[in-house]
Amino acid sequence: MHKIFSLSRKEQLAVQFILIAWACVVLIPLGVAVINSFKPNLGEVYRAPLALPSEWTWSNYAEAWVGANFGGYFLNSAIVSLSVVVIVCFCASTTAFVLVRMPFRGSALLFACFMIGVIIPIRLALAPLFTIVKGLGLLDTLTGLILVQSASMMPVAVFILTAFLKSVPSELEDAARMDGALPFQIYWRVVLPLIRPALATVALLSFVQAWNEYFLPLIFLQSSELYPLTLGIAEFRAQFSVQWHLMFAGILIMLAPTVIAFLLASRQFIEGLTQGGVKE
Amino acid sequence: MAKMSYNRKANLQRIALLTPGVLLFGIFNFLPLVALLGLSLVDWPGVGSADFVGLENFRKLALEPYYRDQFVNALVQNIWMFVLIIGSMLLLGSLLALLLSFGTNGRGAYRAIYFLPYPLAGAAVAFLLDLMVQPRGAINTFFVKTLGWWDAPIGFLGDTDLALPTLAMFYAWHRMSFAIVLILSAIVGVRVILLEAAMLDGASRWRMLKAVVFPVLAPAFVLITVIVMVDVFNNADYTLLLMGPEAGPLRSTDVLGTFLFRTSFGGSATSVNVNFGMAAAIGLVTAILILPAALFLALKNLRKD
Repeated sequence: MHKIFSLSRKEQLAVQFILIAWACVVLIPLGVAVINSFKPNLGEVYRAPLALPSEWTWSNYAEAWVGANFGGYFLNSAIVSLSVVVIVCFCASTTAFVLVRMPFRGSALLFACFMIGVIIPIRLALAPLFTIVKGLGLLDTLTGLILVQSASMMPVAVFILTAFLKSVPSELEDAARMDGALPFQIYWRVVLPLIRPALATVALLSFVQAWNEYFLPLIFLQSSELYPLTLGIAEFRAQFSVQWHLMFAGILIMLAPTVIAFLLASRQFIEGLTQGGVKE
Repeated sequence: MAKMSYNRKANLQRIALLTPGVLLFGIFNFLPLVALLGLSLVDWPGVGSADFVGLENFRKLALEPYYRDQFVNALVQNIWMFVLIIGSMLLLGSLLALLLSFGTNGRGAYRAIYFLPYPLAGAAVAFLLDLMVQPRGAINTFFVKTLGWWDAPIGFLGDTDLALPTLAMFYAWHRMSFAIVLILSAIVGVRVILLEAAMLDGASRWRMLKAVVFPVLAPAFVLITVIVMVDVFNNADYTLLLMGPEAGPLRSTDVLGTFLFRTSFGGSATSVNVNFGMAAAIGLVTAILILPAALFLALKNLRKD
């Protein structure tokens, strides 16, 4: 740290004051959620939302998980997000491999088509997308939702992986090719291990995006037993909007996996944010 | 002969490797985007037969009061929401990033805390902050009961003037760290040599900020503005989550995304004005509105390789 950046004591005090103020803005809503989610009854939540619980209990979590079926919603969210991660990592890496290492006539055009997907958000094509999914008989199925969510991540994933693959030398692959290895083997043995760092970024981005998605499930699912957490909690709120203690517990159940994913991989996260920040 | 068969096999495998990704993207992403063009020219409630109506949907959007008023209202409110969001993100984001760039104690801890909201689901943020601003929520309780500064609780989301700015603040709370990270990396990227030269010239800290640091912030500002713009003009999650497709109170939180949703699926069960052709037209017009920003972003990213 250079001395231009060092602060006098008075300055340090002023700076700390502002930084703590914003930290409070960020932390207080989360803190209020945590303390209220542990309160033994609803009355205490309404009477004193800022006070600590008179008695700490897990009962709200248990009730939300079983009674409000957040356990079921959680399972659906997990199925969708993990499927999306696997599909996107596989499809985007094979596509990027062919586009970068085995270009053909028209591959530039194909890449441009993927870039159109980066530029124009799929939500705007809501009506035609709905028609296609309905035509394929995939409306109100997790399969349909998984395919739509995977496809919506493809452009950014292909973009990140092609950029990464272009930046690494192809010597290993050339050597494998000399030895008579076919593309399948080269992809599996050489390319996949090579692009692992970029693949981790793609996996993390697609997991968080898929877990947090509200709009696409809203469009493509109707039966509540298929709902992911985002829809499930909206449904719960529509019916029991006064049950704040369960809302707080449900919100914390919903945000736990992505916060954990972030804590485990904050570096990839910030990288993904600056590279893949192309699309929300 | 063996060489030939290798090439043939390699070619077949190449096609096999390309197929899944292209089919997935093609069917569920590219085809719908292209189909927007065709669908915008028909009148079709989603079932039954579609009537070709040419540019009628666009004419209605521009001239027929029922659609025009909703469209103009949604567009104006969308712009207002964008201005509020981007204003607060750039101002606060720069201030916080600047303060974090000095030799501040506890920089790492602050950065971790500030980043906490970023990975949260929009639904979690919407419902969490909604519970904070409710008339019986934490904020009103604090200012009415604890401090006694307010006489009565403020119904932030029930007020036609306050609802949209409140939603904008929710968005800014959620995405502030994005602005902080980008601006901070721009500030840190300023070469120390440049700063030293400025210091040797006897420049004050403020002049140094003005001459050396602020100019490098411009690209970060543009990037943040463009990304947030593309998002705010197609993503209406906050309104949908908290206000529903009717975008209450009195459509005061309506944005282009909710207008599009209503036109495709109706606001309530009794809606009659459902038209996929019109929905496609709205999607297309919105795409054209954000196209300059999106194109700029794409070109910038491509040039980076």
